[in-house]
Amino acid sequence: MDAKAMIDSLSSQFPGVIYDAQVESDIRILAKVKPESVKDICQYLKEKLSFGHLCCEFGVDYPERNEIEVIYVIGSYEHPVLLTLKAILSRDDPKIGSVVPVYWNANWYERETYELFGVKYLDHPDLRPLVLPQEMLGEWPLRKDYKGFPNKTAKNLV
Amino acid sequence: MYNEVGPSEMIMHMGPQHPMLPGPFRLNVKLRGETVVDSEVEAGWIHKGIEKILESKTYLQGITIVDRICYLAALTNEEAYVGCVEKLADIEVPERAQYIRVIMEELSRIQSHLLGMGEYASFIGFVSMFMYTIKEREDLMSVIDSVTGARITHSFLRFGGVKDDLPEGFADDVKYVFGNLRKAIDTYEELFSTDYIYKARTVGIGTLTADVAKDIGVSGPPLRATGVAFDIRKDEPYLVYKDLDFKVCTQTAGDVFARVQVRLDEMRESMYIIEQCLDQMPKGPIFPEGTAYGRRSPVMRIPAGEVFHRVEDPRGEMGFYMVSDGSDKPYRVKIRGPVYPTLQALPPLLKGVPLADIVSIAGSMDTCTSEVDR
Repeated sequence: MDAKAMIDSLSSQFPGVIYDAQVESDIRILAKVKPESVKDICQYLKEKLSFGHLCCEFGVDYPERNEIEVIYVIGSYEHPVLLTLKAILSRDDPKIGSVVPVYWNANWYERETYELFGVKYLDHPDLRPLVLPQEMLGEWPLRKDYKGFPNKTAKNLV
Repeated sequence: MYNEVGPSEMIMHMGPQHPMLPGPFRLNVKLRGETVVDSEVEAGWIHKGIEKILESKTYLQGITIVDRICYLAALTNEEAYVGCVEKLADIEVPERAQYIRVIMEELSRIQSHLLGMGEYASFIGFVSMFMYTIKEREDLMSVIDSVTGARITHSFLRFGGVKDDLPEGFADDVKYVFGNLRKAIDTYEELFSTDYIYKARTVGIGTLTADVAKDIGVSGPPLRATGVAFDIRKDEPYLVYKDLDFKVCTQTAGDVFARVQVRLDEMRESMYIIEQCLDQMPKGPIFPEGTAYGRRSPVMRIPAGEVFHRVEDPRGEMGFYMVSDGSDKPYRVKIRGPVYPTLQALPPLLKGVPLADIVSIAGSMDTCTSEVDR
């Protein structure tokens, strides 16, 4: 099955949920997805289209559009096609379902996206900061309007 | 959860500084007697914020930053970063430059495996092996140094080419070093496969099956040791890998011994790749001609777009996702390192093993904490 057939199969299975799908090359697909059905789509991808390998999951901040994009890059061990899924969330209260039940290794990616962007993952088994200290929770340092960490330098923390 | 300690259980912290650990991370282990009941990895001790730093550096400055993600794989990190920009800006790399990149990346793969293997042997008490491997690695570092001008942080790749051509007599140096290295690798293999204590500590320990390994998302030697031939150089060839003849080294046992064996085989395969490159390499320019982006372009604007480019790191799949908004700095760079899922997979692997095997299993993953934290 090539990239075109895969995206056709996905769009026909989830009409209206997958939109703006484009086949960039033989091995790259880009598609946008409604945030509430990410988990179902990942389940379908893993079971039916053998997309068993979550390459990464992360956020991108767009303050002028007031949006945060959560991007899933999903690959496979059987075929070389790589699928990029984008879920667009509101920047004021970003919330999305967790895909940890489908892709086990999403756990740390979601913890990191949470602490760096403030994206809340519903039903995540263990949503704690991963690389940042507890004091920095709420600063969301990878958002574009982050102004540094002036009042909580090491000197002031002690 | 690991916080609830039952009767006759205790929590032991390994790290952030521990002889087992190649970089600082903390392993909180819950023990009952000498058996691991549960464990938890705490990362973030050397978080450098490289993803944020890259957003405020121009594309050219970014090359020196991505070197610092993991110093053992500096050249493959650069390849992933530079490859992203080349895809976005549609820069064609001349064939000679592609061959030089392959040579340097394979050399750096060998030196990374040598250090990783030697360190690992010393973790489990085979300290003399570290002395053997570091000796051969030093020769390789001199060869790399003669081309890039640096031992670990090279800043060697450029958009569309490489910084310098290979020096005079490079092929002879490589031939000399590889002669010694081939003999040395045979010796290592013999030492590993005949040493009774080493085998007792590695064979059948920390076994991953192919299904579990795929499910928890590990890549690189830990995955190939389970029999899955997943290698980006074959599955999604970049540079000139599709013109080269090499095989993906796999084992089927999936235990610690198999992981070390995969690394030994990969070093042989890398040497074979480099020799092919030196034979096949055409003469020609090392920078594209007639493009806006040249050797000296400190400020370059890249067309807007998004791209994911992945390469095969010594430790597995290294990918960069780059979002460009058309300015001279990347809008967002996501670094997907191979060790990130591997380190995450430690707690399920360690469940139920004796305390002494923690070092054996965690060390065999060849973790690079610097790359996990970024």
